[in-house]
Amino acid sequence: MDPRAKLAGSFYFIAIAFLANSWPSFLFLGAVAISGVLLSKIDLRFFLKGVRPLIWLIIFTVALQMLFTRGGTIYWSWGIFSLSQYGVQNGLFIFCRFMLIIFTSTLVTLTTPPLSMSDAIESLLNPLKKIHVPVHEIALMLSIALRFVPTLMDETEKIMNAQRARGVDFGAGSIIQKIKAIVPLLIPLFVSSFNRAEELATAMEARGYRGGEGRTKYRRLKWGRNDSILVVIFAIVTVGLLFLRKT
Amino acid sequence: MDIRFEKVSYVYQPNTPFESRALYDIDLEIKEGSYTALVGHTGSGKSTLLQHLNVLLKPTEGVVNIGDRKITPETDNKNLKPVRKKVGIVFQFPEAQLFEETVAKDIAFGPQNFGVSTEEALELAKKNLALVGLDESYLERSPFELSGGQMRRVAIAGVLAMEPEVLVLDEPTAGLDPLGRKEMMEMFWRLHKEENITIVLVTHLMDDVANFADFVYVLEKGQVIEGGSPQVVFQKVDWLKEKQLGVPQATDFAEKMQTNGTHFAHLPLTAEELADWIVEEGAKNRG
Repeated sequence: MDPRAKLAGSFYFIAIAFLANSWPSFLFLGAVAISGVLLSKIDLRFFLKGVRPLIWLIIFTVALQMLFTRGGTIYWSWGIFSLSQYGVQNGLFIFCRFMLIIFTSTLVTLTTPPLSMSDAIESLLNPLKKIHVPVHEIALMLSIALRFVPTLMDETEKIMNAQRARGVDFGAGSIIQKIKAIVPLLIPLFVSSFNRAEELATAMEARGYRGGEGRTKYRRLKWGRNDSILVVIFAIVTVGLLFLRKT
Repeated sequence: MDIRFEKVSYVYQPNTPFESRALYDIDLEIKEGSYTALVGHTGSGKSTLLQHLNVLLKPTEGVVNIGDRKITPETDNKNLKPVRKKVGIVFQFPEAQLFEETVAKDIAFGPQNFGVSTEEALELAKKNLALVGLDESYLERSPFELSGGQMRRVAIAGVLAMEPEVLVLDEPTAGLDPLGRKEMMEMFWRLHKEENITIVLVTHLMDDVANFADFVYVLEKGQVIEGGSPQVVFQKVDWLKEKQLGVPQATDFAEKMQTNGTHFAHLPLTAEELADWIVEEGAKNRG
């Protein structure tokens, strides 16, 4: 699928997730998200892993909503805390919203190669050229940054091993000791990043790169039938959602 | 201190979709005071194997005996420092590990981590800098002002300063000019002879193996497929060429002479050996 459609679609989906405000509407959006997940044929465990780092944020917000919203039948109260009908409902809604957002964003990141993601960002940002946003530079930065993530990770590991062989204990001792242990890792990484940037710039210039104006593209994005179908689906979802919304 | 591998296997990221096996049933022995070479293709498991030598990796199966320490899959990550002090590793392109503001401090960093006092560590820095062929004027300079080759020497001095009993070298001369390469290899040879340091050398240069090593292991796809003294291993010229590993230049040359009808009782490994043989034969023919 065209990464532009996926990226724009996921943003749109997240935006309309905030429009939902009743059980039928959440069920409906949930069904749409789940069918997307099922269509991708990706193991569900990956999605649950995506939830894991955010679990505390979710619990915190949900608890906050539950304990501080008043109204409706009050089930339980103690001082400023109370467990009310609206509170529970709001809490559960927020939980559903979180799940929807995490699932769709995981779906997009898992199904899109990083490079086409940065292409999609460039092409979606293109209209901003009118207000003098350096879209091309941002896109170039993004794709180079993405390209170097694995390289840097490799390098980090190598330096870490080298310093461990010299007796550094990463992740041991008190917080201050831990921070100190990172210095022998960070400084070489910074140095090599600066060197790498300089070498890369020279190499790019030597091959005739002169920046945005008149630059051609090798990777072209193609809008296919599936992408139009996605747009139609989202239009239907929007209508359905507005219909199911409680006014 | 002997290092012995018994049926060692290693799997990267076990029980995930990214699982990949790097070592299969490795049995090998690095004897105290030996100069052992490990050769093999990129991706044959050399780097994984050498990270086992000072427990940067623990085997997934099998046992690694380092001196009297037994490293098994269950070994705790604590108390590994004594092992790491005894086995110093010089990684590929070790200049990437420099970070202190002066050369002296950087070399002293290793010993200090193992509990040596600051003064003593600086003393060690001075001594080891001389050992790698740089004079004292470099002590107070920043490592980042130096040339690549000098940085490499400083980094190696940093590993030597820990006074390891076993020195592991992962392609220590990669990217150096011919003179730097020669000086570096001779420096390691001196250390090996004079200080009786056990050396493990990972390399692609068969001439280095022929010149220095007294034992060589050939790795392929995570397995040891051959082990023995270079004199024995390099006799199998065809087999090595089939594995795309090559032989020392002198051996290659002698092999070509052999196809032209010259007979060698034993293929020479170094230019000196070959020259000696030619002189001897010449004397015989004249006489």
